[in-house]
Amino acid sequence: MAEILYQGRLHHLQKELMAQYYHELTESAEGRGAPAAYLLIGGNPVELLRAFDILPVYPEVNALQLAVKKQSLGHIQAAEGMGYSTDNCAYVKADIGLYFSGRVTPFATIPEPSLLLCNYVGCNVYLHWFDHLAEYTKRPAFHLDVPFIRTRSGSPTADDVEYVMRQLRQLIEFCEGITGRKLDEEKLRHAVALSSKTGELWSAIKHLTKRSPSPYDAYFDSVTMMAPLYCLRGTEQGLQFFETAYEEYAAKAESGEGPLDRETFRFVIEGPPPWPHLRAFRDMFSRWNAVAVASTYSTVGGLWEFGFVHDPDKPLVSIAEHLLRWNLTNRNFLQRYDQIERYLDEWHADALVIHSVKSCRLFSAGQGDMRDYFTKRGTPTLLVESDLEDPRYFSEAQMRNRIDAFFESLAHRKLTEV
Amino acid sequence: MVHAAGVDVGSTQTKCVIVDEGRRIVARALIDTGANVTRASERAFEQALASVGMERGDVACVAGTGYGRFKVTFGDLQITEISCHAKGACSVFPGTRTVIDMGGQDAKGIKVLDGEVQDFVMNDKCAAGTGRFLATAADVLAVPLAAIGELSLQAKNPVRLSNVCTVFVESDIMAYLAQGKKVPDILGGIHGAIAARTISLVRRVGFEPEITFTGGVSLNAGMVRALEDRLGTRLNVCDDSHYMGAIGAAVFALERALVTTAGVA
Amino acid sequence: MAVRLASSFDQTIEQCVDAIESLDFADASAWKSAAAGRALVGCFPVYSPVELYHAAGALPVGLVGGGNRLEISHADSRFQSFVCSIVKSTLELGMTGKLDDFDGLVFHSICDPARNLASVFSRNFPGKKIEYIHFPQRIDSADAVDYLTAEYRRIASWAGELTGHAPSADDLKSSIRLYDAIRANIRRLYDLRRAEPNRLATRELYALTRYGHVVPPEQHLQVLYHAIDELEVREAKPKDRARVVVVGSFCEQPPLDLIASVESAGCYVVDDDFLLGRRFFSKDVGELSPDPFVGLAEAYVRHSVDSSVKHDLRYSKAARLVDRARECRADAVVVLTAKFCEPALFDYVLYRKALQEAQVPHVFLEFEEKMWIFDKIKSEIETFVESLMFA
Repeated sequence: MAEILYQGRLHHLQKELMAQYYHELTESAEGRGAPAAYLLIGGNPVELLRAFDILPVYPEVNALQLAVKKQSLGHIQAAEGMGYSTDNCAYVKADIGLYFSGRVTPFATIPEPSLLLCNYVGCNVYLHWFDHLAEYTKRPAFHLDVPFIRTRSGSPTADDVEYVMRQLRQLIEFCEGITGRKLDEEKLRHAVALSSKTGELWSAIKHLTKRSPSPYDAYFDSVTMMAPLYCLRGTEQGLQFFETAYEEYAAKAESGEGPLDRETFRFVIEGPPPWPHLRAFRDMFSRWNAVAVASTYSTVGGLWEFGFVHDPDKPLVSIAEHLLRWNLTNRNFLQRYDQIERYLDEWHADALVIHSVKSCRLFSAGQGDMRDYFTKRGTPTLLVESDLEDPRYFSEAQMRNRIDAFFESLAHRKLTEV
Repeated sequence: MVHAAGVDVGSTQTKCVIVDEGRRIVARALIDTGANVTRASERAFEQALASVGMERGDVACVAGTGYGRFKVTFGDLQITEISCHAKGACSVFPGTRTVIDMGGQDAKGIKVLDGEVQDFVMNDKCAAGTGRFLATAADVLAVPLAAIGELSLQAKNPVRLSNVCTVFVESDIMAYLAQGKKVPDILGGIHGAIAARTISLVRRVGFEPEITFTGGVSLNAGMVRALEDRLGTRLNVCDDSHYMGAIGAAVFALERALVTTAGVA
Repeated sequence: MAVRLASSFDQTIEQCVDAIESLDFADASAWKSAAAGRALVGCFPVYSPVELYHAAGALPVGLVGGGNRLEISHADSRFQSFVCSIVKSTLELGMTGKLDDFDGLVFHSICDPARNLASVFSRNFPGKKIEYIHFPQRIDSADAVDYLTAEYRRIASWAGELTGHAPSADDLKSSIRLYDAIRANIRRLYDLRRAEPNRLATRELYALTRYGHVVPPEQHLQVLYHAIDELEVREAKPKDRARVVVVGSFCEQPPLDLIASVESAGCYVVDDDFLLGRRFFSKDVGELSPDPFVGLAEAYVRHSVDSSVKHDLRYSKAARLVDRARECRADAVVVLTAKFCEPALFDYVLYRKALQEAQVPHVFLEFEEKMWIFDKIKSEIETFVESLMFA
């Protein structure tokens, strides 16, 4: 099979923008730039930070970048030497290992945090992670406690919203304390307006993959777009990136171009990618001309394709909504089944692939039940296992075996259907 | 008469089966894989051919399967052993709806319909439930591997295993021996624990009759009984159970050969 | 209500042990069928506001997994091998019909697998009423009390739907009084063990505490009073053993025989976090507020003990563990956690650092609830105790 070139114009633009962003991180680390806040991806109130000109730093993004550059293992092992277990989330271990090694990565020097903003949005590991960072860095920390979606209706209660609103106001006070400035309401409104347009574009981009052929891979190419979505949302460059992305992919959709020569299989994929083995994993699907048309992972930090947008006229309310309801991590497991079902139906997919990762129990614990549900519903479902950050858990031969066996049988079924 | 061959390259053993156009097995060969996988696949093929006085040219199509399938350089197709086990099982036992495969290094459950894989589940991460576990136990008990099955059937009070981790089976068995437990009882307990674990795995694809048991471990009468007792139903087993992957591959190759021949004709 | 009390302390303990080791929930089922309008509410660890369900007329039953008597053969197809056993065994209890008599089940925000378990239960048991409580993690804010009070009212109303009786403030006050008494008596037993561990074995204390998971609280209270009376006259010679604090077993529980093995390996356990949810408060709830819903919420936010499932940025749990070890005059800390228990594994890293800096000897051990051979872990503890004795 000829080597596939996955990287197009958009990838290069993303690299440029992210390089600028990382440059800002390094500036901050060297004492020349903005104060930095560490925060988490699931339900991130980045608009508030941007309104204070605080630089958002996402330890999760740093960890995944390390893994992609095949540099995560050393940090993970250093953390294990400190007592972290093989069963602890490897994102945390890579981050803690990085912290104690001086915070220098191939892409940036990560600044010390001026603020640790623990946005507790579903993931319990976030709480432990930031407790540990607070202990190690001795920097000011703030828990933003977002009640989990646990009602039958799938909506937050009025008390949930009130609780989050109160905390957002406290967070504003906290940031005022750190920066020595009052919140500029107009700046916040502007950041939310930019975020809103960005979210709309992201949604439109996601809907493009309903077409056949899909103009891009909604998993492997989505992850390229996710970094700017979190790191640059609420900024002009962030918006420009998504305008470019939409133009590029809409054009491809019009001309019937896809990421592969042929599109034989369309699948929905659940779970984070194996970052240390991203390319190898992608190849395993490409050889079957299989393209992801939707992914749950690309909604960790925000779910915009079902109609939500931030409202600049109600900045805090819409930020609260986003945190509570419009991201994957704060939604319950069965809501994820519904989300996948919508993708299967509305995006016309042939199959579901579940990539179960050892580190992330929020995603993975119970995926056997997910598999049972979708199989009984009649959706061909494949479950494969590895890890998102630790390169040791990826077994290429076994992974390939499972994926090949799955598409072999799908191919047979397609033949017999015809 | 059209012939086709299937070569199943496993990590420990390589098997080759040649079938005729009636899907009858006309030749088989089994060798240790060793370090050179391509060489092993060639030798297995040559051995099978030689055993019935055939030449390479007499075989219209060859399919490779198993972990080493891409190293079967003379193969015309490469198909996963999941698909081949399903195909092989249905070829030998046409009523097959579920396949339980227990090999040297992995265990699988396959749901089958009309010879096609509907769903499958694999344990390829841990040796419990595989031949490796049984081989380790046999070593510790100093019983020949080929004899552990029959011996396990003589258990009067099978022991209860505390876990099925291959790494610890040695110390667990030593503990039982120190407690004065009899070898058949220990083997009975081991077979029972493995059977329970395998059933738990295959349950994820469901048990629909007929259930066919394939792979090297299917030749172990003790395991057959342990599974049948727990499932409450008979399993399809045959002397060629450990060739099932190669049989399936040969049938895939045959189907391809017949299509090609038909196309030409 | 009339309770037949055993004639001796040892018999009391064995009565408790039988009840807690059974997977049939016989006492709970018998209670339910004795009168109309009764319901059973299963409570997953760690802490559940049992007073709310009791006030509605239901019996809160503590679900602590299937122990080492339940083979997991269905639930392991739904949850992976790297998930703790209690999640799977609880689901297995459901799948094997052992929870058929339960009307409702409550889960809580303790960790990620437990949260997903709530959803898996909902889907697989659509006839059961499943609820989930989000406990506030911003413990230092006044808003947390308001939030949790609202959450408790929501749960109380749900409990009312199970029994047909929505709990009033008076109902709740009465339930709080009862459970306050239970907690006070358990505290007395813990104090007694700390002062004179030779007179009360941990296995016994554990059985007495856990008994309350499976019988009506009124019955539990009677048994506790009786046990305390019996203990007044119990004598036992102190042995030369290491005093240890055991932490990490707040959710999935070690088998009773393992707990006994810790002591028989040469220790007196002078403090622990077994079954922490039933001992969650350092003060009586009843005296906290005229509104019992507010009082219960305040108890959680302001007067609850440290736990791996709570996060308070104001204090270091690890530093407080060192303090606790010193207050108990402990020789060492044993970190005994369930395999794959994320909260415990995270806390362990900070505990280890603090204990090392404070020069408090400690050992880390993992267990699974389904263990029933303890040779290895027992020799690890013996080795550790030897190292303490000969230090």
